[in-house]
Amino acid sequence: MILIGELSLWVALLMAAWGTTAGFAGAYTRRPELIASARRALYATCAFVVLASVGLWTALLTSDFSFKFVAAYTSANLPSVYKFTAFWAGQEGSLLFWALILSIYSSIAVYTGRKSNRELMPWVVPTLSAIALFFILTLCFGANPYTRLDWIPPDGRGLNPQLQNPGMAAHPPNLYLGYIATAIPFAFAVGALITRRLNAEWLSSVRRWVLLSWFFNTVGIVLGMWWAYVELGWGGYWAWDPVENASFLPWLINTAFLHSIMVQEKRGMLRKWNVTLVVSAFLLSIFGTFITRSGVISSVHAFSQSSVGYWFLGFLILAVSVTAYLVTTRLSDLKANAELESIVSRESAFLFNNLLLCGVAFAILWGTLYPILSEAVQGTKVTVGPPFFNTVNIPLGLGLLLLTGIGPLIAWRRASVRNLRRQFTGPVVCGVLVGVALLAFGMRAFYSVLAYAIGGFVLGTIIQEFQKGMSARHRMYGESYIVALFRLIARNRRRYGGYIVHIGVVVLFAAFAGLAFKKEFDVTLRAGQTFSAVDGFGDHWTFVSQGVSDYDELNRHTTAVLLEARRNGKFVGMIKSEKRQYIDSQGNPTFEPATEVGILDKPHEDVYTVLAGVIGEDTAEMRITFNPLVWWVWYGGMIVALGGLIVMWPQADRRRPQAGYVAPLAPGLVDAGTGAA
Amino acid sequence: MPTRRGFLSALGAGLATASFARVLDAQQAVQGVNTGTANVPMDEARYRPVQLPSRGTGPSMTDAQRDALEHKIHCQCGCTLDVFTCRTTDFSCQVSPPMHHDVMALVAGGYSAQEIINAFVNVYGERVLMEPEQRGFDLTAWVMPFVALGGGTALVIALIRRWRQPAAEPESVSTLPMNATPDELSRLDKLVRHDDA
Repeated sequence: MILIGELSLWVALLMAAWGTTAGFAGAYTRRPELIASARRALYATCAFVVLASVGLWTALLTSDFSFKFVAAYTSANLPSVYKFTAFWAGQEGSLLFWALILSIYSSIAVYTGRKSNRELMPWVVPTLSAIALFFILTLCFGANPYTRLDWIPPDGRGLNPQLQNPGMAAHPPNLYLGYIATAIPFAFAVGALITRRLNAEWLSSVRRWVLLSWFFNTVGIVLGMWWAYVELGWGGYWAWDPVENASFLPWLINTAFLHSIMVQEKRGMLRKWNVTLVVSAFLLSIFGTFITRSGVISSVHAFSQSSVGYWFLGFLILAVSVTAYLVTTRLSDLKANAELESIVSRESAFLFNNLLLCGVAFAILWGTLYPILSEAVQGTKVTVGPPFFNTVNIPLGLGLLLLTGIGPLIAWRRASVRNLRRQFTGPVVCGVLVGVALLAFGMRAFYSVLAYAIGGFVLGTIIQEFQKGMSARHRMYGESYIVALFRLIARNRRRYGGYIVHIGVVVLFAAFAGLAFKKEFDVTLRAGQTFSAVDGFGDHWTFVSQGVSDYDELNRHTTAVLLEARRNGKFVGMIKSEKRQYIDSQGNPTFEPATEVGILDKPHEDVYTVLAGVIGEDTAEMRITFNPLVWWVWYGGMIVALGGLIVMWPQADRRRPQAGYVAPLAPGLVDAGTGAA
Repeated sequence: MPTRRGFLSALGAGLATASFARVLDAQQAVQGVNTGTANVPMDEARYRPVQLPSRGTGPSMTDAQRDALEHKIHCQCGCTLDVFTCRTTDFSCQVSPPMHHDVMALVAGGYSAQEIINAFVNVYGERVLMEPEQRGFDLTAWVMPFVALGGGTALVIALIRRWRQPAAEPESVSTLPMNATPDELSRLDKLVRHDDA
């Protein structure tokens, strides 16, 4: 199987090369046999990339250390699940994983779109083949996972301990699924630009793919935050690391697109803008991959440095040049049809929403690249760390949160003063009440109070929207409010799924605002010694060290410290934090010691302990942190993902009669509740 | 045939992206061999003493204030963390503990937070800060996002003005020759309201 996999990679290269060449030639000359051949070559590329991937998985699971990749990222005593996930732990395997997902996505997109997009497909197929060709070329000549060693070592180097975590098993695949899904809308955009068929049809084809990309990107980012929090030990979930930033950029652009596409669908506006967003999301995904793999910016998440950076740079230059040429030469075809009737309209709100989303994306990109600019201009590579990103992005983020509440309250086209008053009164009262209550309870952190007040306003907006819809259904159909709620969501998933996403965003902002009350302590505790502290909620905590212990387990030697935790004198739990030295099957240490943090998690606060070092035999140097509301980051992320899933879920075709019985419908009932946002 | 505009934009975009190649060369020249997924070469030789004579006035700040100060100083071991976070997270770091000892000595020597930061900048250069300074060329780091946002806002407002067409007054509508019955107009009104939802 391994040999078949190795050979399959080269066959996939030939298939992708043929798909690209025949596809572009066929599309240009309009020869149907070449177009059909390119389509079949794309499916064949997918089949051979799948075989190549199965081959590598076989080599990993059977610990075939004759392969450099297997020896570099696994060891004989590595648990099987991590041998499987080691596939994407290194440069070569992760590139093959890219190619695998891309070829599967491409095949699905081409197969499902073969009838609905007859004009675009001849260009979509070779564009996707060209992207696949780039990845397979890079694999074959730049980072081949099937490179063999001159000799077979008795054991491999093992997997980086930080990657031996369930979060890291799930985070990269989700992020890749999100990143790579941007290639499909990009290919459709290229097809639409070349053929100048820039009406709303191509957008409806790509919207589902953008949603898919956004969904997996969301899940991937949240899983990455969780992994960083529980594994890396720096005490937070987001450090504005360049690689984290790179993953966030396509998410922001996709979010902007999912809002602005509504303006094009409703009003025929923003056509140039939507094409630009679709193209930018893909280019930023490639840019993110370039950052991760080139070593151009130092990051704790980056892969080891290799010549692959140049491959990505070349591809990025080509993609940017081609799309810039296509967009600028098609500007006249992208001219909008509609006109704006009023500045006080939902169209305007979406424009400002897009402005802020792109503003945040620019600020993050700028901060990420500024060290390079600074080095080029001043000769000094300055550090752009969390203080910069927080200072710049907090006001922009709060502006975005505010627009999340304003948008749904303003009507399309134009809103009257009476309409605005009626819509805004409830939510504004909610926001003001939250703000006043927090000030009355003594909260003085400006941005936190503002975030909670705006969050109250947004929640007020969403509750009002749900209440209106539920009441309407209750009146019209006599449904109970619970039934009305579920049917409201089921009948208009796009609108109410979107509101659920907004609820998740409010929860996330509430959790982020809680960071203002984070408290951390640097302590040294001998066995039996006690440390006391007061957390951000005013609770008195006492920690008693139970001593330091050393023991061996599985494939590691562990040093652990155990703390007994009491809140206001009451026992609440034991917290264990560890340092792990991983060893190979010969008993030799592998990698640097890894941190395993201790977390006592409660809905309102986490107690987070890190064993920083051991002095003598029983004295532990530790960091104890009170992290408020972290629990809500994970649940907020889940709510956002759930909302995305609801939006994505296919709407049943209600025109199709149910077998055996067709109920007569009163006129008007069919469209009830379908006022898509 | 490519148009002049298309050719120039493609060329410009390509050149802008290609400028990374130079950066990539420079990066690869200075960085060492990395291992695994952590692209962070550890180098204890990066530590340089930051020492000043004691003023004899006693400690200038509390432990909590000192920890907050260490959050503003970038550990020089090659990681992306500040001194406080690195020394309390990674016990294999050889750089953050001596940097921490320098901070403690300066605090005990009576130096203020700003004086300590200045002392570190004098020794290590600006890279020892966790954020760019708000002066000189580095001011552009802070200003540019807001300049871009301001430019974007101006652009959006200009576009809104250009796209905006004054809607017809209700009176003028009523004067148009229409064959619609009041019932049809009422249905039309309902449809428009439904669209607004």
